[in-house]
Amino acid sequence: MSGIFERMGMFMFGVTVMLSLCACNGIFENIYDEPSQEEKNEFGFIIVDDATRTGTIYIDATDYTEWHYIDLHDKQVTTTSVYDSTPDNWDFAIHRYDAKTNNGAVLESTAVDFNSLPDMASLPQESFVADEWTTDRITVDMSQMMDGIIIYAEDYYNPCLSRWLDVDTSTMPPIYTLSNKVYVLRFSDGTYAALRLSNFMNDAAVKGFMTVDYLYPVEL
Amino acid sequence: MMIRFILVLLFGIFFSAEVFSQRVIYGTVKDINDNPLPGATVSVKELTSVGTVSDVDGRYELELPDNKTYTLKISFVGYYDVIKKTSNVDDAELNFRLEENSTMLEQVVVTGTRTPKLLKDVPIVTRVISEIDIKNVDAVNIGDLLQSELPGIEFTYSMNQQLSLNMSGFGGNSVLFLVDGERLAGETLDNVDYNRLNMDNVERIEIVKGAVSSLYGSNAIGGVVNIISKDSKEPWSVNVNGRYGSHNEQRYGGSVGFNQGRFNSMTNVQYTSIDAIDLSEGTDNEDVGDYSLIYGNSTLNIKERLVFTAIDDLKFTARAGYFFRERNSSESIKERYRSYSSGLKGNYSITDNDDMELSYSFDQYDKSDYLVPNDRDVRDYSNVQHTLRTLYNYSIADKHIITVGGDYMRDYLMSYQFEDNGSHVQHTADAFAQFDWNPHKRFNVITGLRFDYYSVSKLKHLSPKIGLMYKLNNFSLRGSYAGGFRAPTLKEMYMDFFMGNIFMIYGNPDLKAETSHNFSLSGEYMKGRHSFTVTGFYNLVDDRITTVWNMALAGQVYTNMSRLQVTGVEANATGRYPFGLSWRLSYAYTYEHIKKGEPLLSSTRPHAATARLAYDKTWKNYALSVALSGRYLSRLTTDVYTEMTSYEETVEQTYPGYTIWKLSVTQQLLNGIAISLAIDNIFNYRPDYYYSNSPTTTGTTFLMGLSMDVEQLCRKKQENNNI
Repeated sequence: MSGIFERMGMFMFGVTVMLSLCACNGIFENIYDEPSQEEKNEFGFIIVDDATRTGTIYIDATDYTEWHYIDLHDKQVTTTSVYDSTPDNWDFAIHRYDAKTNNGAVLESTAVDFNSLPDMASLPQESFVADEWTTDRITVDMSQMMDGIIIYAEDYYNPCLSRWLDVDTSTMPPIYTLSNKVYVLRFSDGTYAALRLSNFMNDAAVKGFMTVDYLYPVEL
Repeated sequence: MMIRFILVLLFGIFFSAEVFSQRVIYGTVKDINDNPLPGATVSVKELTSVGTVSDVDGRYELELPDNKTYTLKISFVGYYDVIKKTSNVDDAELNFRLEENSTMLEQVVVTGTRTPKLLKDVPIVTRVISEIDIKNVDAVNIGDLLQSELPGIEFTYSMNQQLSLNMSGFGGNSVLFLVDGERLAGETLDNVDYNRLNMDNVERIEIVKGAVSSLYGSNAIGGVVNIISKDSKEPWSVNVNGRYGSHNEQRYGGSVGFNQGRFNSMTNVQYTSIDAIDLSEGTDNEDVGDYSLIYGNSTLNIKERLVFTAIDDLKFTARAGYFFRERNSSESIKERYRSYSSGLKGNYSITDNDDMELSYSFDQYDKSDYLVPNDRDVRDYSNVQHTLRTLYNYSIADKHIITVGGDYMRDYLMSYQFEDNGSHVQHTADAFAQFDWNPHKRFNVITGLRFDYYSVSKLKHLSPKIGLMYKLNNFSLRGSYAGGFRAPTLKEMYMDFFMGNIFMIYGNPDLKAETSHNFSLSGEYMKGRHSFTVTGFYNLVDDRITTVWNMALAGQVYTNMSRLQVTGVEANATGRYPFGLSWRLSYAYTYEHIKKGEPLLSSTRPHAATARLAYDKTWKNYALSVALSGRYLSRLTTDVYTEMTSYEETVEQTYPGYTIWKLSVTQQLLNGIAISLAIDNIFNYRPDYYYSNSPTTTGTTFLMGLSMDVEQLCRKKQENNNI
């Protein structure tokens, strides 16, 4: 009996000694994922599938002073300063987590993927929400936030589409919750797009990197 | 029976010489009320390899090699040791009656001097939290335990709900936490991960307040908290335990231990989890506080400790541990914290007068974010410490002790707070000496000096200490002066961090070390079943390191503050009676003086108190323990700056005081099954507004637990079979 214990003891002793002889800068490095570098450098329409009319848009919206204008018709992203005028052709735009549309209106569906989208004709047109003019939403300067001073730009924003990410600031740091829902955008030309925000961080956990899945045009 | 007789006879013929010279001593170990004390240790002073433990009825039996006179020592936790000599006549029965030690003064402690000394003989005031206290408080983690046992200790939330300690005016980076004398790697907002310090397999916790840098170097400005692990005492042991409470709080644990031949091993596993706590629950108040949701989290803690006694004078201790914690701070990000630790220590008793210790220790603490939408676990922080230690004790004339030692540490830190997630390495080395001089049985002087060197900051620092103790009958008086220091950390020197995408925080390679002068005076009076202790202290702290706003850089920069003072008084009274009742009352007053215009203002509550009333009684197959414990923290009125970027305008802010009581009842059946029930916050206290220093309670909570010592139940069964 005590022989077993002696051997067990010796074994555990050996394991501990082995563990002690590990690398200077630590062990078990390979259990973690490396932030992937290649994806980081690619922005815009990173996936376009013409057959299904779907794709993915990846935007670096970390800068508080930029709007990123997305043209779903021509698959283009144009970035401008918040103080500059809008480009000629665009469908919706992203500033940090805020979103606005080009004279469009938005409805939050109950669907969490494009396959379960209801028929566009069945959607109650009066429930679509148009953009609103805001003076205290589009943050452009956070540098004095600790002293209670936040500088905003006056602009339009779409309160419905901006619900794609809830930022609860009642607690510090804020709690970010993705709605995971599909938003239906109705454009002024009568076409519809479906958007879903699938992520707001890059692989290094930096917030403000927006991954938007789209379906355009949605079949009527 | 016949066979046994023949065997004995044969043995008698073949080994007659040994049989004649051997003798058996037996007897009982009981308390003064004639209750048997099972598990009391019986040792022989002259023969270190001979010893036994009393059985469930308090009986023991011991074989001695010859008829010489030997000294038997009986020890039992919570009782005074009893020493008796065997007579060289044939009288083989030797019974012992132990008197309960109500004050724990016979407890051996190590933290204050780095040599084992009786608590009553340590010239440095040491507070001990015993295993029984830990059980009584029913604490899961060190935070719960320290807060309910010591006044003047407060764990609050700093940014991002990270735990932050305040111990009599000193923060987490000014109080050194040790496990069996070893430091912990890693920190978050200047505090170690207290979740690593679970209360499994803890024998006792020793707390020395005030500067102890002369023995422990950096960080030991406000005090040292040393958690001492337990060796396996039983030949084998298996424990399983579980606990369930409000907010779906769960804890499951188990341990396996053995003590066979030259090996002594203990393996512990513990898993805990708790759901998020919605602080607005049951209120219609949207703005409940600085935060509205306490994040849920889960932890896994595995520890192994193995002691190998190579020869009587040479002992090796090997240990290994793994810790994992996941915090659900949002649906998108789970924050993960891991640590791996291991160590090997050798203790060698060279002669009766000197011994030495050599140890190597490894500790790694990692932080990573598991990004749910990305399905990636990305590490952004890793602190790896390799430490070599040596310690040598030499005693002169069995009274005076010279202690010398030295350490080397390699400290590697990779952090998201460094430029490009970079890393830095620092080497530190130190040497120290201490002389414990006992010229008279009533008088003790201890002096010490330590030299520390830090490779990156090129910091060289000397930390002195002198302590005096005078004992007269039931009274002892202690006085000490000690220097404390804290070296600037790699984080404080090299930070380059864009805080929340809002402003930069810059490190400062030119930082000076924080230093302190600590004066302490303490009186202790003990009579019968009561004890009273009063301690006064005064600290002068220079160059405390903090961040200040720098206009030119439009960000925060680590800077040394000008002098601040922390002074206070602590009083402690205890009573313990033979019928099972005990009480303790502790009070602390702390006054922190920081000048206006300094970046930090006081956040220490002036008055704090803790109290406990307990009843413990053991019958043959049943034990009951009931404990009512409470803590009081006074309100704090302080000034806070209106702007982060300037330290000119302040507003007065008052944080309300509070009192919280907890009642716990533990019943032990058949010596092996413990069922515990606890009601926390029994008077249903709830803050009107949750500040970062408010208790995160939403009212009364309940807990129930079950613990089973399998070996005790098996032993019981065995005994029944024998009868």
